[in-house]
Amino acid sequence: MHLKNYFELSRFWLLLKMELFKSRKGLLMTFVIIFGLLFFVGLLFDCVVEQKKIFEAHPMNYAFTLMVGGFILSSLAFNDLSDTLKRYHYLTLPASTFEKFICMWLLTSVGWVTVFTITYTIYTLLANAIGSVLFSGMTFLVFNPFGNFSVNTMKSYFVLHGIFLVGAAYFKGYVFPKTLLVLILFFTVGGILAYFIMGDEFFNHDCGSGECAVLHEVISHDISVVLQWIFWWMLAPVCWINTYLGLKDQEV
Amino acid sequence: MIQINNLSFSYSLKKPVFDQLSLTLPSGNIYGLLGKNGAGKSTLLKIISGLLFPTQGELEVVGFRPKDRYPQFLNEIYLVTEEFLLPSIKIEQYLSLYSPFYPRFNRSLFDEYINEFKLPRDQKLTALSFGQKKNFLLSFGLATDCKLLILDEPTNGLDIPSKSQFRKIVANAIHEDRSFIISTHQVRDMENLIDPIIILDEGNIVFFENYENISKKISITRQAELPDNNTLVYAESYLGAYTVVKENTNMEETSMNLEILFNAVVGNKTKINEIFKR
Repeated sequence: MHLKNYFELSRFWLLLKMELFKSRKGLLMTFVIIFGLLFFVGLLFDCVVEQKKIFEAHPMNYAFTLMVGGFILSSLAFNDLSDTLKRYHYLTLPASTFEKFICMWLLTSVGWVTVFTITYTIYTLLANAIGSVLFSGMTFLVFNPFGNFSVNTMKSYFVLHGIFLVGAAYFKGYVFPKTLLVLILFFTVGGILAYFIMGDEFFNHDCGSGECAVLHEVISHDISVVLQWIFWWMLAPVCWINTYLGLKDQEV
Repeated sequence: MIQINNLSFSYSLKKPVFDQLSLTLPSGNIYGLLGKNGAGKSTLLKIISGLLFPTQGELEVVGFRPKDRYPQFLNEIYLVTEEFLLPSIKIEQYLSLYSPFYPRFNRSLFDEYINEFKLPRDQKLTALSFGQKKNFLLSFGLATDCKLLILDEPTNGLDIPSKSQFRKIVANAIHEDRSFIISTHQVRDMENLIDPIIILDEGNIVFFENYENISKKISITRQAELPDNNTLVYAESYLGAYTVVKENTNMEETSMNLEILFNAVVGNKTKINEIFKR
């Protein structure tokens, strides 16, 4: 087994440059749409309609746009495989499957989170400045990209984006809606099972005082702890391995 | 260069496209792959390029197993498909993005081909005509200095001057370490270029001979009367005379007509086999 057959830094760099070049217009357009919507709807419209004293929506907006934007981007990661003619070109490009996978993994995870977070932070600084001028009575809270909420959002994104990469490697076209549909089906089945297993307990208890003993019991149950561990440590690697295998098995 | 042993492939559980196909293609030739629609030509080319995986059998192309699609393998093959998509960028941009993937890419050779095909450099690739795009891909493929060029219907969409330029360029680009596999229905465009001729019929190699051997064994003539049944392989009536494929018993000089040869092979496999086995 020669390492060169799987990974070579110079070749990987060429691939990365090529993919960035190919997706430059799409990325630019995505950023314009996201930040346009954030400013006009998420900030101006919100300030006019809600008439709040404090504008504190930046972290929530960040979480929503990072996730949705990233998931759409991840769904488009292997867009060349959706079209038969592009597929010929993509599969015969002299780079290894591993390099093709790592390239897209890097761009849609680390790349997306870094670029989006930096852009979002700059956006909030500008938006806060403009907002303060337009709505003088309002206080605009500063967005902290290293705050607990933002870091947890990034962590969750790292775990979940793998699901959309798997979709990108296996589905031909309409990857984002197809992946969403699979997730909805999965959670529907999971929900029905949970209902049959724990439904009686949940519906026959009262937790009106705020503290829910049943919920607490479920969360601290061994199975729940194992599931949480699987989510944080297993889900993403399993998805990445599946994506790689899906790419490796691609034919025309 | 290409070694295929007992290869089987099927798209579904129905009839396989190939069943125990074996084939050896040494380097240094321009192979002409002929066959009717659905004979399995494009499938075979895709398997050789690593775009389809055989269900059984062994396959080695330029020293690699195509299924692995290792970069060193992909460096050595270049596939120009019948239909293709090119990005909306100019030639220079395409070169700067894609040529570094091919370590032996020869820029001056590429420029020569581009000039020969008279391709405009200032236009985006998407603005070129279909034939120009095909010529661009051929120029790029030749300049990669790869060992195996696979061309599927390369002359489809080419104008008359481009077809002769294509023949000239391909004939000049062959050397002992390189091979071409040209799959085509446009056999007249390929006359005097492809050698040996491989004819694929219903997933089987029914004919694999070089020109020299073909002209030694059979003759293609135009005559008013049909010859006797012993030597006759195939005949077509046209404008009051017959184009006749017969066994070349008198070692007579014959001109090659690939279309007639193809029809003769497909129409009378038994007789052709008999003649070429002698």
